[in-house]
Amino acid sequence: MTGWLLDSHLMQQRSGWTPARVTLAQLVALVVPMGVSLAERGSAQIAVLVTASITCLVWELAFDLIRGRSLSFHTVTTALIVSVLVPATVPLWQIAMAASFGVVFGELVFGGRGYGIVSAAAAAAGFLVFSFAGAGLSEPSESMALATLPGAVLLLWGGLISWRVLASAAAALIAAELTRQGASGLPTVLATAPFGLVFLVSDPVAAASTQWGRWVYGVLAGLLIVLFDTLAGSAIAPAAIVFASLLASLFAPLIDHVTVTLIVGRRGRRHG
Amino acid sequence: MSLKHHLISPLIGNNPVTLQILGICSALAVTTTLSTAITMSVALTVVLCLSGGVISLMRHHIPPSIRLIIQITIVASIVIVIDQFMQAFMFEMSKRLSIFVGLIVTNCLVLGRAEAFAMRNPVLPSVLDGLGNGLGYSLILLIVGALREFLGTGGLMGVPLVSTVAEGGWFEPLGLMQLAPSAFFILGLLVWLVRVLRPEQVEQPEFRLKAAEDRRP
Repeated sequence: MTGWLLDSHLMQQRSGWTPARVTLAQLVALVVPMGVSLAERGSAQIAVLVTASITCLVWELAFDLIRGRSLSFHTVTTALIVSVLVPATVPLWQIAMAASFGVVFGELVFGGRGYGIVSAAAAAAGFLVFSFAGAGLSEPSESMALATLPGAVLLLWGGLISWRVLASAAAALIAAELTRQGASGLPTVLATAPFGLVFLVSDPVAAASTQWGRWVYGVLAGLLIVLFDTLAGSAIAPAAIVFASLLASLFAPLIDHVTVTLIVGRRGRRHG
Repeated sequence: MSLKHHLISPLIGNNPVTLQILGICSALAVTTTLSTAITMSVALTVVLCLSGGVISLMRHHIPPSIRLIIQITIVASIVIVIDQFMQAFMFEMSKRLSIFVGLIVTNCLVLGRAEAFAMRNPVLPSVLDGLGNGLGYSLILLIVGALREFLGTGGLMGVPLVSTVAEGGWFEPLGLMQLAPSAFFILGLLVWLVRVLRPEQVEQPEFRLKAAEDRRP
């Protein structure tokens, strides 16, 4: 939830981030993971990418036409994340339905990117897993973890994702994994988490937007990932990250609300 | 306010589910198949009519301070009769609806109409109001139930209409449709559709976005 300063004009003047630049930065951050996914899974993955992109753009175009706005192309980032998460073994029409669901119910019905409460890509992936028996998400490899790094650095540097969310989620995840199965399997387990942590859990739309709330949100997401993970030992199930991100983002507004209430109460006592 | 108005207006214009947002809980629980939705609709419509009539008859004798207790007692008595009737004559359906017939007692729609209408109107309008609201509720339940059963299993009323992939056909059932969230999504889409067709139902937002809203053409 992007919260308290929804005056986008003011935000642009202060930070220099226009919606188009945000979309562009996120696209750049996603290029390397996308390339790795294409290289690893072959040309069939291109069909996934094209299907997801066309579906997302058609829905965005339809909503923009109805609402009389110009096309911002921001749903392409959702399409890219979806096509990294989803393997080419899933039928294309199922991918189109999942992408439609994610984009329409995850953000467009709320008014577009930044107005919703969950990450649209997580909503799409969650719909896919829930709806179609046998439609699993693809297991991120170790090279995917490396490929996530440049994008993560770019987004962190630009302030488009919060280091507090990322750090607390990673710390909670590592701590929970350590208590669950010790240090031996940790490296392989952790190699599967970065993509989901950076692009689903840390999505500024889904994450909490107060500084203290971000720590709480990150810890909650990290613990939920381990709780939902059914593949103990080998790797973190991709669906666990998706559902942990969805559930944690539902709590983000509450976390923010409590944080703000606490801060306001403390200030009230201090200044009478 | 004519008598006909009490019957007609809750169908779409003042629909209990899509406008008053009452009775959502049962609308989620019993709409996985069309047959359970139909049975639940009939049961709830009967309860609404009877409770409206009885409470309206007694309305001058109900002390205001304990009116909710009395209303609930009346509704519960009617529901128990219906529940027993279903267990006696349609045991299979009664098992499939499990607790939800009994839970009509706590259905917000029944108490809502009793408190809002039957307590201050004569018998005939109260019965018609119950019937109208029951039919409005039924209409939504039937739409949601039909959509969920067809998209989730490929059939209606337990009869397969299209051949599913499992049987060698082409139709892939949407597993999500058999889970409760899908009822929320369908209800949400219905509310959206009704409010597009009838813009006067759109509520004023509680909060407005300041500058962004003003600049929008």
